[in-house]
Amino acid sequence: MPDHDLTLLLQSLGKDDGQASSELLPLVYEELRRLAGARMRQEMAGHTLQPTALVHEAWMRMVGESDRTWKNRAHFFAAAAECMRRILIESARRKSRLKRGGGQAKLNIDDLELAAASPDDKILLIDEAIGRLEKDDPEKARVVVMKFFGGMTNQEIGEHLGVTERTVERHWAYARACLFQIIRTEI
Amino acid sequence: MNARPQQDEAEIFDDARRMTNPAERAAFLDRACHGDPALRERIAQLLNFEPQAQEFFDGVVENISAANLAEISAAEAPGVDEQIGTVIGRYKLLEKIGEGGCGVVYMAEQQKPVRRRVALKIIKLGMDTKSVVARFEAERQALAMMDHPNIARALDAGATETGRPYFVMELVRGFKITEYCDQNNLPMAQRLNLFIQVCHAIQHAHQKGVIHRDIKPSNILVTLHDGVPVPKVIDFGIAKAIEEPLTELTLFTAYAQLIGTPAYMSPEQAEMSGLDIDTRSDVYSLGVLLYELLTGKTPFDSQELIKSGVDHLRRTLREKEPAVPSMMVTTMQGNELLATAEHRRSEPVKLITALSGDLDWIVMKALDKDRQRRYQTANGLAFDVQRHLTNEPVLARPPGRFYRLQKLVRRNKIIFAAGTAVALALVVGLGISTVMFFREREARKIADDAKQREIQLREAAERGRQNEMLLRQEAESREKIVQAAVLLRNNRYEEADRLVAALPPNQENLAGAFVFRTLGEWHALRGEWQPAAERFAVLLRINQPDEMYSSSMDFSMQAPVLVQLDKLADYEQLRREMMRRFADVSDPQVAERVLKNSLLVPASGEAVKTLQPIASYISVYVQGMSTAYPDKTTAWQLSALGLYYFRQGNFAEAADDCRKCLRYVGPEGPDSPRLAAANVILAMCEFNLGHREPALEKLAAGKSLIEQKFQDGLKRGNGFAGYWFDWLLARVLSQEAEAMKMQKAP
Repeated sequence: MPDHDLTLLLQSLGKDDGQASSELLPLVYEELRRLAGARMRQEMAGHTLQPTALVHEAWMRMVGESDRTWKNRAHFFAAAAECMRRILIESARRKSRLKRGGGQAKLNIDDLELAAASPDDKILLIDEAIGRLEKDDPEKARVVVMKFFGGMTNQEIGEHLGVTERTVERHWAYARACLFQIIRTEI
Repeated sequence: MNARPQQDEAEIFDDARRMTNPAERAAFLDRACHGDPALRERIAQLLNFEPQAQEFFDGVVENISAANLAEISAAEAPGVDEQIGTVIGRYKLLEKIGEGGCGVVYMAEQQKPVRRRVALKIIKLGMDTKSVVARFEAERQALAMMDHPNIARALDAGATETGRPYFVMELVRGFKITEYCDQNNLPMAQRLNLFIQVCHAIQHAHQKGVIHRDIKPSNILVTLHDGVPVPKVIDFGIAKAIEEPLTELTLFTAYAQLIGTPAYMSPEQAEMSGLDIDTRSDVYSLGVLLYELLTGKTPFDSQELIKSGVDHLRRTLREKEPAVPSMMVTTMQGNELLATAEHRRSEPVKLITALSGDLDWIVMKALDKDRQRRYQTANGLAFDVQRHLTNEPVLARPPGRFYRLQKLVRRNKIIFAAGTAVALALVVGLGISTVMFFREREARKIADDAKQREIQLREAAERGRQNEMLLRQEAESREKIVQAAVLLRNNRYEEADRLVAALPPNQENLAGAFVFRTLGEWHALRGEWQPAAERFAVLLRINQPDEMYSSSMDFSMQAPVLVQLDKLADYEQLRREMMRRFADVSDPQVAERVLKNSLLVPASGEAVKTLQPIASYISVYVQGMSTAYPDKTTAWQLSALGLYYFRQGNFAEAADDCRKCLRYVGPEGPDSPRLAAANVILAMCEFNLGHREPALEKLAAGKSLIEQKFQDGLKRGNGFAGYWFDWLLARVLSQEAEAMKMQKAP
């Protein structure tokens, strides 16, 4: 069922600078978690699924075909990306805490381990690196969140940030290298 | 800082990484970073990382295991309980007093602003604390409005240092209602009386727009007040705030411990469709509670429900008819049956007889799968239980003749016994002996009296039924109002409007005021004046007994709408009512509102006279202020005074006040309904003074503001920049001025 409230909310965001509004986040967040749970039941524990596919499904469920506005879609996906980031971090933290026997054991991974790091550990590292990049270059950090966690296409990100696809691609490549450098040298 | 902006750095990097030939790349970098060796060094380093970076990021997010994601809202790794003595926010933990499915409850001491003991519940599960607290905050106002002796007040919510949400409520020390009843072997009637009190508490909450969503024995505690048992409903607002875990996901993974007992869940709650929960879900849960109070069991066994899995649980709740209470008891094993009866100070056969009939009907009506067929309100359920206790016909049972007669007999056992005896005597007497003649005549008289009495009783019963119908209709209307209020809080205007549009016009309660005001404004903002006027009319009727500050606002909404619709007779009535009610007003803002809204159309000399006290009150107020440099309030007052003098025919004075008003432009800028109105009134004064040129100019100035506003779409506005109805007022006046322009054409 398309949710008209949500469409209204999306519209009301208007000239929002891309930071998803505080009203939108909890809605999307909830829906994503709900979907993840539903998938879990259908596909059983051992299977894998793509969080980015979940984001698309959430869009279809919450807004639906009725709203084809690029702007709304971009707002939604930007919010969803941020939510997915939190969800994945939450999950990765929990697992790594369990593995390390409680406490917020600081990740410390040297070169050798890095290549073999589990997806969960990678996610935690990437998140922390994004956190640092956010301070220096928030716009590129946002591109990473949208692309990496939200599975948005360059076109969608470009629409949302008001830049060309080419610029998005550049930012992404550059930010990725920067993040990796941060992970290698700083964390 | 770098000499070059970052944009360039990313560009250079991107171009360079596409070059496969190292020499070419080096040459490119030399050229691009000419004169900035640090930049060149940075980019070269990044390029080194590039292949690894790509690999590192690849496939990380694409292949998260489903199990991993599902764990997200599952229970947090078992944390350590908060220690006694810990201070959380303003509360100091004193003693652990309970542990339930979703949290641990402590007795705590609040230090500020008052020193008191409270119950503090810390939620166990790992959930998004921020949104839990946010949801509680959203509900807070409604929760604060609940004030009922059988409801434990919800006081506060927040997050502990470890990030878990907690709730603070009034401290209630008591037993679960079911335990209390069994421990004290309460007989049926006393159980029912406790239950009725619970229903009233729930009804109160519903009228404030709060749905409990988690009614079960452990949320209804019985305490003794001077030896009298008093049930208290706790945990209001919590189920809604932590609603999140009630999703498919947690139902699957952790639902057993989370919900504690799905036995109390209504079918629509088990569907997890999310939004579709209303007060009738609580009625269902009350039905389960009644079932348990009567039989000691829930309609469906909790353990079995949990074991059966989610889908099966849903199907059971949706499709399976539970055994009626009397049947449930009948099928109990001998010992169990005996114990159940003893707990009710009864005997097996008596217990079964007591249950079969009314109580079976009442319980099953409350438990109907289709919520349309349930009692529509908690009060409705309570009424019926009450009727059962006083041997009146219950609504749950379809009224058959025999049934009503039976009720009548039970209520009037003695009279009926006499009647029957007499009838017997008649038969015998007629056949046997004339000696019996006199006795017979006497007997017939008694029989006639009895018959007369029976007819009266039957009529009374019929009247009672009609009354009940009326009560039921009222209850249903009230219920709809509550539903509409809930819809409106979720901004679902169309649905709310549809719901109340069909209501009989007798909705005199405060929730009604909120609903009709909101819907009236909603229509008005869409330019739908007719339905707006209708909603406001109901609103004003609801407000009648209540002369609050806000009701002058309600008049201010309706007044220009009626004029806009050209409903001058209705407006006239409204104006009288307004002048009557606010004759001795002592609030400058109310006075101003009343004055101008009473003068939207030319008024009789008498009407203007009636307004004289208000006008002079305002002018005294204005004189106290500096009219050379008016402030916002004074400016509004001046515009209203201008209108008053204009209606009086004192054009020079009116024009003077309007000009003074126009001198003040607030921080909101010239885009103000006050300025628009002042311009228009001034224009009308000038027309009447024969100054056509300045009149046209002022009118044009006012009109352009107004037209722009309506073209852009009205907003609700605020007291600062003016409300939509202030704009409508200006527009109504501008239409009058427009007509004047034609009339007074040279």
